Amino acid sequence: MPSKKSLHIEASGQLCIYCGACVGICPLNCIYLDETRITFDENICTRCEICVKACPVGAIEIGAAPSLPR
Amino acid sequence: MVQDLKTDVLVIGAGPAGSMTAKWAAKNGAKVLMIEKRQEIGSPVRCGEGMSKEWLTEVGIKPGKWINVEVEGARIYSPREQVFEINEKSAGNEVGYVVERDGFDKQLAIDAANEGVDVVLKTAAVEILKDHGKVVGAKVKQSGQAFDIRAPITIGADGFESQVGRWAGLPTNLALRDMDTCLQYRMTNVESDVRYCDFYLGKVAPGGYVWIFPKDEGVANVGIGVQVSQVKTTAEARKYLDAWIAKHPGYAKGKKIDMVGGGVSISPPLKQTVLDGFMLVGDAARMIDPLTGGGIANGCIAGKICGEVAANAVHGGDTSAVFLQAYERGWRGRLEEKLYRNWLAKEKLCTISDETFDKLIDALQGVKLQKLNVHNILKAVHEKYPEVTKEFEAFL
Repeated sequence: MPSKKSLHIEASGQLCIYCGACVGICPLNCIYLDETRITFDENICTRCEICVKACPVGAIEIGAAPSLPR
Repeated sequence: MVQDLKTDVLVIGAGPAGSMTAKWAAKNGAKVLMIEKRQEIGSPVRCGEGMSKEWLTEVGIKPGKWINVEVEGARIYSPREQVFEINEKSAGNEVGYVVERDGFDKQLAIDAANEGVDVVLKTAAVEILKDHGKVVGAKVKQSGQAFDIRAPITIGADGFESQVGRWAGLPTNLALRDMDTCLQYRMTNVESDVRYCDFYLGKVAPGGYVWIFPKDEGVANVGIGVQVSQVKTTAEARKYLDAWIAKHPGYAKGKKIDMVGGGVSISPPLKQTVLDGFMLVGDAARMIDPLTGGGIANGCIAGKICGEVAANAVHGGDTSAVFLQAYERGWRGRLEEKLYRNWLAKEKLCTISDETFDKLIDALQGVKLQKLNVHNILKAVHEKYPEVTKEFEAFL
């Protein structure tokens, strides 16, 4: 099994409404919102999944590889 | 290579709190630069667009074209949908306007510009600059180019998703129980009532509520907030909101024409909002009312104080955290007690059952409250259901 931290995290460009809810709750301050794009600092992110819960539309997914509709 | 810039006061974020801060700093003689990372101030909207109005004159905002509807009152629905109506006669001035938030934000930015504030779009802070522990400005990115803006006073007004506060060294982290995840549709062809803002309490929105804010005849913002600590699966805010709409025929037949999301802090006030050369204001400083989720009024009230203190600090040549305590004292004196009281009330309300909500609203039937606050509501409930208020003795 790969460690959780090696998993890929991303916000689907299709689902995300770039509201910033994930940015505000991230305990490590490692999510960035640039106009309409959410990015993660995957070196800092521990995949704690708090942002997954905070996202009102379920746009954030953690998985082995990029998999979401873009 | 873009040249570095210098100003007296750098305001990061051009929402209501940022524009108010910038305006009042400029009005008091400071040279102010306000940066906004988006390409359009106020857009995309991230707000339910309901606000009270009694505070507007206090901070010098004149009613304008940004007002959609002036409501007569609010209706609170219990889980079994018994209504408690709050109107201006029974509850003072707590109710107010439903607004066009993008227009409101732009008007405040115009007011700031009219006082001499420089406003720059598409410019994002990416780092806080420090010199010997004191904040001295920010590194920014503008159209792909990075440069420094140096200022004796830097102000973080970057909203709920604030990062500059944490970059500067103020812990603004939220507990999961101190945040609501929110989603809203603007809907048309619905049976909303332009005279009222409606609120639905209970398990329809755990740790939050469903709101209906009328924008026009048959058009309303229909939204929900759900406490993050009560979220179990993904996209829960949307699932709860869709379920509520499906159960209400007057809304199920409506069409969605807009979708808005966001986070709302429902936390106690921060312990600290100033550092040497730095102040935090508005949603970034967790000034949202934890009971109502409203942040505009508090952000503007604190913004005025923040701007005045910033200008005084620049004029006096003292931008130390000690001098900036004037802001800390000012906003706390005006807002802190209510924020803390409402946070306690929210903590309690998030735990109570639908049955208790039903009793609370039932007990308020026919009651005329002199002033709408937690204490007066509980006093009224106590007369009919003393066993219900046992849970709330701390508030009585």
